Amino acid sequence: MIWKCEQIEERLSEHLDGLLDAPERAAFGNHVAECAQCRMLVAQVGGALAQVHRLEMVEEPLGLATAILDATLGPRAPKKNWKIFGWLQPVLQPRMAMGFATVVLFGVVTLQAVGVQVNEIRLSDLHPVKLYHASTRQAHLIYARGEKFVSDLRVVYEIQSRLRPAQEEPPAPQQPAPKANPQDKPNRESNWLNDPACRLCVVTTGLTSVPGRSMR
Amino acid sequence: MRRHTRRVYNLCYRFTGQPHDAEDLTQEVFLRVYRTLASYKAIHGGFTTWMTSVTRNLLIDHYRRTKKDRVTSSLDEEATMSKLEEKASAARRPDQIAVAGELSMQVQRALGRLSPDLREAVILRDLQGLDYREIQDVLEVPEGTVKSRINRGRIELARLLEQMGVRRE
Repeated sequence: MIWKCEQIEERLSEHLDGLLDAPERAAFGNHVAECAQCRMLVAQVGGALAQVHRLEMVEEPLGLATAILDATLGPRAPKKNWKIFGWLQPVLQPRMAMGFATVVLFGVVTLQAVGVQVNEIRLSDLHPVKLYHASTRQAHLIYARGEKFVSDLRVVYEIQSRLRPAQEEPPAPQQPAPKANPQDKPNRESNWLNDPACRLCVVTTGLTSVPGRSMR
Repeated sequence: MRRHTRRVYNLCYRFTGQPHDAEDLTQEVFLRVYRTLASYKAIHGGFTTWMTSVTRNLLIDHYRRTKKDRVTSSLDEEATMSKLEEKASAARRPDQIAVAGELSMQVQRALGRLSPDLREAVILRDLQGLDYREIQDVLEVPEGTVKSRINRGRIELARLLEQMGVRRE
């Protein structure tokens, strides 16, 4: 298939749009390779097409869509309650509402922290002096509770530290049992101290020596 | 709604080259579509094609109506066109905006110099992205005529751009 310049010009757009089949494409290519005039035409139109494709969508005027809606569906009637609650509209925006809710939550948490019952709140409870006293009282209470907690912990740790060496002692190697001497009295005091429960009693009461039978 | 508005507005703007006319024509297109919606049947092609067809008819009416008092270019129109092009490419650097704005203004001017038949064929194919079959439905002409108009339109546009000194890339 051999094409002439007229055919190249006629089928140029189809070539640019990729609509030529294989034999046509080959005939187009062969001619353009040999004909400088057609080669220039192809380059010229291809360049122009690239410029056209580069054109961007122009933004429509802002009020156009609204104007179209008004022209087709008629102007929208304003809501009746709009004017009455109009002042609320800025507050009811999601962002404002979230901010407002956060402030209220913060206030409730703060009042609870200073000891004001939110469900039984009165105007007098919000007096600065009363709030100051309530917060001071609450702070002292929290401090006292903390101090008591630390003190209790200290006692518990002390008891545990005194008991631990006794529990961690390795068991003594078994000695052959001494021959029973009927005259010897059994060492009741040492047996009594080996019992962990009894040791706890000793530690808590602060006694180091236990009078023989009186502790029973 | 917004997608269709933008598409119709662009079609009108590229055909008339005048933003105010494009705005009025877009409104008119939607009014006509709204009034004649009952006459639309899916067998006549896609809704977009039908809408484009309505737009094209209005553009041709507008072209005939304003043939006498049309001014090819005025300073005011060029200033408005320039503003529109700048708005469309606002995310780029100032030098790029200036070059792109100048180029698109020249292409728009060259489009305006094409005959209406060739102009609408080129706009529908290369700016609206319709295929040959859809253009055939919109223009209601045989496929051969569509191909011929697109081809002649592109060659003429290239010649005009060459005359205007637009650099080829």
